[in-house]
Order: sequence, then C-alpha cells, then structure tokens
Amino acid sequence: MGSVRSLRRSNPVTVIVGVVLCVVIMVFLFGPSSADIATSQFRRANSASNPLSPPTLPFRKSNDKANGKRIPPPVVHYQMNNVTSTSDPEGNRETVLILTPLARFYQEYWDNLLKLTYPHELITLAFIIPKNREGNAATTALQEQITKTQEGAEKKRFASIIIERQDFDPALVTQTEAERHKMENQKSRRAAMSRARNSLLFTTLGPTTSWVLWLDADIIETPPNLIQDLASHNKPIIVPNCFQRYWDPAAKERQERPYDFNSWQDSEAAQDLAKQMGPDDILLEGYADMATYRTLMAYMADDAGDIHTEVPLDGVGGTALLVKADVHRDGAMFPPFAFYHLIETEGFAKMAKRLGWTATGLPNYKVYHYNE
Amino acid sequence: MLPSYASSSSAKMMPRHQAGSYSNGYPRAKSEAYSISPHRFHSRTSPPALRRRRQLIFRLAIIVAVGVFFTCFIWPGASLLPVLSLGLLSSSEDFQLETVRYYDLSNVKGTARGWEREERILLCAPLRDAESHLRMFFSHLHNFTYPHHLIDLAFLVSDSKDNTLSLLSELLEELQADPDPKQPYGEISIIEKDFGQKVNQDVESRHGFAAQASRRKLMAQARNWLLSAALRPYHSWVYWRDVDVETAPTTILEDLMRHNKDVIVPNVWRPLPDWLGGEQPYDLNSWQESETALALADTLDEDAVIVEGYAEYATWRPHLAYLRDPYGDPDMEMDIDGVGGVSILAKAKVFRAGVHFPAFSFQKHAETEGFGKMAKRMKFSVVGLPHYTIWHLYEPSVDDIRHMEEMEAERVVREREEKERAERAEKIKNQFADPNSQWEKDKADIQNEAIKAKANEEKVAKEKAAARKPADGDAKQAVAGPEKPPEKAQEGGQKGKKQDSKAQ
Repeated sequence: MGSVRSLRRSNPVTVIVGVVLCVVIMVFLFGPSSADIATSQFRRANSASNPLSPPTLPFRKSNDKANGKRIPPPVVHYQMNNVTSTSDPEGNRETVLILTPLARFYQEYWDNLLKLTYPHELITLAFIIPKNREGNAATTALQEQITKTQEGAEKKRFASIIIERQDFDPALVTQTEAERHKMENQKSRRAAMSRARNSLLFTTLGPTTSWVLWLDADIIETPPNLIQDLASHNKPIIVPNCFQRYWDPAAKERQERPYDFNSWQDSEAAQDLAKQMGPDDILLEGYADMATYRTLMAYMADDAGDIHTEVPLDGVGGTALLVKADVHRDGAMFPPFAFYHLIETEGFAKMAKRLGWTATGLPNYKVYHYNE
Repeated sequence: MLPSYASSSSAKMMPRHQAGSYSNGYPRAKSEAYSISPHRFHSRTSPPALRRRRQLIFRLAIIVAVGVFFTCFIWPGASLLPVLSLGLLSSSEDFQLETVRYYDLSNVKGTARGWEREERILLCAPLRDAESHLRMFFSHLHNFTYPHHLIDLAFLVSDSKDNTLSLLSELLEELQADPDPKQPYGEISIIEKDFGQKVNQDVESRHGFAAQASRRKLMAQARNWLLSAALRPYHSWVYWRDVDVETAPTTILEDLMRHNKDVIVPNVWRPLPDWLGGEQPYDLNSWQESETALALADTLDEDAVIVEGYAEYATWRPHLAYLRDPYGDPDMEMDIDGVGGVSILAKAKVFRAGVHFPAFSFQKHAETEGFGKMAKRMKFSVVGLPHYTIWHLYEPSVDDIRHMEEMEAERVVREREEKERAERAEKIKNQFADPNSQWEKDKADIQNEAIKAKANEEKVAKEKAAARKPADGDAKQAVAGPEKPPEKAQEGGQKGKKQDSKAQ
C-alpha cells in the first residue's frame, strides 16, 4: 500500500529529475573520460582508409567498391624523417611493435601483455604461427583472447593486431623442451626460427614504427613498465636477463634460475673455435662439448645490484629484446645461415655490429620464462 | 502531455475514492446524497500545479544549459555526442575500425602465372634528384600490361634538391584519378627520408671508383628502408625498377614472372650515339662468380667491397651483359651470383626470409651484388636472361660531353669553312660570270657559221647537228660541277672522324 501511495504521489517531474540525475551519474561513472576521448580520437586519426595500408595501423571499414567500381587507394606520404626512437617514448608518442613467434599459446603470456603500462593505443601486436595442428590450436586460443580484449575496455585495446601463418614447415614436429635443445636439432630449429622472425619483421614493420619489442610466447612475467624501462636507456639494441621460476623440491620453495644463454660477451676461445670451423658450422652456447668460455649475461645477475646496470654484449637472446626500428630498417635481420658462425639472434647482434649498431644487456633486469 | 495525463488520472480517481470510502470506517448510507467528505483527497486545481511544474522545468532547463555550457568550456575538444548518447554512438563508430588482420603467407608464395591468381606485386623505386626522368617512368607505368590494381607502388625520396617530390605526387595523383578504370594502381606510398648523403648523383662522381663502396652502402641502406616500410604480408612479388630505364617491353612483369624463379633480372644495355658504336652493355653487376674473384676476395680486408667494371679489380667473371646475342632466345636463362639493380623481379618470400641489400660488406659485396650473394647463400635461385634486353637511358659522361663539344666545335669550324668556300665560289662565279653566255654566243656563232658554210651539204650538216647535242649536255654538267666538291669533302671528314672515334 505504501509503495503504491508513494508512486501515486510522486510527481512526474520528480521522476524526470530522478532519471536525469541517474543518467548524469551513469555518464560520469561509465562514460568516457577526457583521456579516453583523446585516446579514441588518436586511434581514429591514426587509422588508414583501406585494407592495403600498413598493418600497424587500423583501417576504417568502408565500401571498397562503390556500385561495382574499384575506388583507387589514395597517394599516402610517410615522413620517415619524423619517426624517432628516444629515451622518452611515451612522451613522444612513439609506436611500439611487439613481435612474437608463437608455437603455443599461454594464457599467462597474454595476461602479462595486458598488464603492460605503455599506452596500448601505441602498441601493435604481431604473431607468426606455424601451419600445423598445434599452430591451429594456438591460433584459436589467441583469437579468442584478442576478441575479448579488442571488444573490451577501450583503454586496454591495442592499436592493431596482426596474425600471420608461416609459409614453410616448422623444422621439428615436437616442441618439447628436451627435444628442442638437442644440439644437432639446434641449427635447423634456429634457422626455421630465423625465417619466422624475418617474415614477421619485414611484413609488419611499416613506415611508422619506432621500436620493435621481440617477446617470446613463453615469457609469462615481466615488469609492467618493461617498454619504458628498456627504452629509457636509449640503446639501439637492449636485452633484459631471462630467468625461469621453478619449484625446488629440496628447499621446498619457489626459486629462479638463469634461462637464456644467448646473451654473451665474446671470448678468444670462441674466436679460435670459429676459425677451425667449416663455413656452414655454427657456435652454440650452453653445450658441454663446445666450450666457448664466453662471459654469459645469465650469470652476471646480482640480486642486490641496480636494475639499470648496463653491460656491452656481442650476442643477444631473443626471448625479450627491444630494438630501435632503424636497426632493422638498415637491414639487420636474423640470419638463417651461419653468419660469422652465428645464427638467429646471435647472428643478428653480429650483423647489427657490422652495420654500426651495438648491443647492451641489463643483467639485473629480469623477465621470466615459462617452466614446462 | 504532462498536464493532460495528470488531470485525467485525478478524474479517474474520483469514483474509486467513493467506492473505497468504506475503508475509512464511514457508512455508505448516504452515498447517493451529495456530500463533501472532509477525508476525501482533493486534488489541487490544475493551474497552480502546471505553473509549479513549468517553474521546475524551467529551472531544469537552466541547469542542463549551464551544465552543457561548462562541459563545452572544460573539454573544448570533446564532442558532446558520445555524452548525450551514453557512449552508444561512439562505440558504434569504433566497430568501424578494423584492428585485427589475419594473413596466411602460404597463399603469397608467388607462381608462374601470378596475374591469373591475382598475386600482388610491390614495385619499389628509390629516387634521388630524378625529376628529369619521372615523366618517362610514368609513361612506362601507364603501359604495363600486368593488372594495375594488383601493383602497389612505393617510392623513397631521399636527399633530393630538385622538384622530385612535388612532381612525383602530382603525377601519382593524376594516375590515381585516371578516368580509365584500368589505369589506377593499388596502394601508393611516398616515403620521405634523408640519409644526409654527401655523394653527388652526377654521372662522374657516381661512377668514380673511389666513391663506389660508400655510395653503394648508402644505396643499399635506402633500398632496405624502402622495402621494410613497404613490404606487406599480402605481397607475392617485389619488383625493383630504376626510373632511368628508357625502353622496356610492356609485358616485362609477366615475362620475368613466367620463369618462376626466386630472383630474376633481364640484360641491361644502353644506346649510344653512332660515333660511339651505337650500343653498349650497361649493367655490369649481373655476373657469375669466378675462381679469380673468390681468390681476390680472400685477400681483401673485411670491409672491402668488390665493384665490377673497374680496372682496380680484375675478376674475370662472365657478365650477363657481354653474353647478349641480339638474335638469341629471349627465354634463355643463366645462373648468376651478383645481380644488378636496374630491374629485379623477386618473390616476396625471398625478402621475407631475410635477404636484403647489405649495407655492409657481405662476402666482399654490397647492395644488389650482395643481395644476389645473400639470396644464393639462402639457397634461392638467382638467374639472368642474357638475350632479353631492356635499355637504360644514355647519359653522356663528362668525357663524352667533352668529346661532343669538340665535335660540335669541329662541326662549326667545318661549316664556316664550307660557307666561305661556297661564298668564294659564288664570288668567282659572279666576277667571271659571263663566260657562259659568251660561250653560248660563240657557240651559236660558230654554229651559224657552220650552218651557213655547210648549208649546201645538207646530209653532212644533219650528222653534225646530231653530234652537237650531247656536247651541249656535257657543257652544262661542267658548269654545275664546281658546287659539288665541298659536300664530298664533308662526307669524307665525317668518315674520318668515325674511324678516329673507333680507334679511340
């Protein structure tokens, strides 16, 4: 009775005022803030008009054919003199291309990606996935997460996402850790990996990218400021230290161990080894029957040390690797053949050096690899 | 609307109150009689209520107006539309943005009959101070027989001091706006990037030996920037073409594609003026590796670059250019190791695999030659077509220009001499002009006399008259004679010159 009475008594004007108030509150609570509006405007301004555009830019869907006729794409100018890569990428609105050769999809990888604090509207993701059963599964899982993210909160959406499928067969059928690391399998595996990396890089780089971040699909934990932190050093090639967390049954606690041994400083022993090799042989790190005596960054980590400590490197690993786009544009790629007896990311560091770019490592700045 | 609703509801309420009067505890006994119940709710008469609502509505309107005004004031850039539409409109706009792209690279490996499978070609052209060649290049673009909408154009304009950029955009806009639907091309990118090159682009400094290594490294850098910025996951082929090609078959893309090779180049020659022999091999960068060159490479230091066509490096390599036979089979293939950059057709997968134009000394080679070497290193097929020729523009070298100036001077001197000689002849003719008429006169006199003298003997006279006519013609030829010798002298001079130049 009471509710009926109050409804009856309530003036229509009161109802309207209430509704208006509700609307205002809703708008303030859920509506786009000024920053979001700026973001979405930035997204719109940075979009291209047709699907032939550089894949690092989103494009506006439009009727490609007006009454059956093809509309010729416009003439587009790209001012590459204005593409910078500086120590303050966020302030200078520099775009980052995150490249990931993907064989298996880990949810932790995607979650970590979403946690990156670098403005997502400046990030383009690109993946290359082999064409096999495992690859298909990874593609499906990836696309599911992409749909969720790109239709979710605008702040979390990435500028553009590219999925590519490889045009050559993966070197190995199995990707288990033990099989993968067998020495005789290493060369063909890493040659195939190089081709995948190069395919991904040279088809997605485009004219507007400032930085390229190589991030392996099994990197499941990085500091959320990864991009800003690495870029702040303003180095052409910079690589953090890749560790792996594991359960130590003896100590009964979670511990960590070095994982990536491809970041190193060269040694005379390695040079001498190389001199005795045939033109197609490669030097590998972390194998007992090939003692190189190189200084490995993996063992330089000091828990008490400054995370911004820099060391010069001659070889780099590719698990996490930030590169200025100019280095790749000059032609530094991942050699799928023995280049100075080096291959893939280690060969990349050498080729970059031949082009006049040096590599730097951060031994105390850690990212973490998945533990199988 | 509001007032009418309010009044009608209050009207409907009346009978309910009467019927429900029991609930108030009062008997219904006098229900028929007119009475004014003190307990019954009396709605206010409508005029004051309306007035009050009007006030409220008015206030509300003021508040909203002020609110809107402040919103506009605080966020001048923000559009009001998303706020008013609760974000529904803005999100529908976002759905128009396509952010996810999927490409299967196994669909773009490149086949022999790409035009049937709608395979896309990326045409790359690095430009520097190329204004004078652009119109010629665009005439080639107009004539390509490969479907234009399947070709994407990418230009890198670097360190240009002339009008290259503005002319290029003008010509491209024209091309894309062409009313013929078969003319416009696919994606068109003009990339502006200066590398701060100190090397001049004029012919002499371009081809000097000392400048070669650093010049070619810079060229390689430009090519790599262009390719990495323009290559897309949907490209099956990449075609590199210099803008200073003068003559090439319009079907060149299909012709090269038909061979289905990873990297393929035609033979490049250039036409020459007659006094230089008519034609000449131009691109010496397409060659097969030789033992001599490999041995030479081993002796050089890490950063040295072997360049072809200079006496400093005698490589004894078989060059594609020198193997040309004008009547040979244009489909004949030859395996090569270094390639020239005037016109390269390569499958996009070659570049995707990582082959590029080394801007460093790769196996003692840089740029396009290094490109050929690297493609070979990755086991791609690299071939040249010795009898399929395109023609590079002839730009006279400094020596040629000097030579041509000398020839021009000689020609001027010769012409002046000829003129003088002709004038002298004229003068002589004028000064001693009369002998002809005198001759005629004398001849006539003699004839008359002869006729008179031999009038009697008619038969003999007739014979003589017959003999005299040809003599007449001879006399006229003799008169015309003096004008011819200068011409002959000129011809002789030219022939002599030609032999000279050949000897050189």
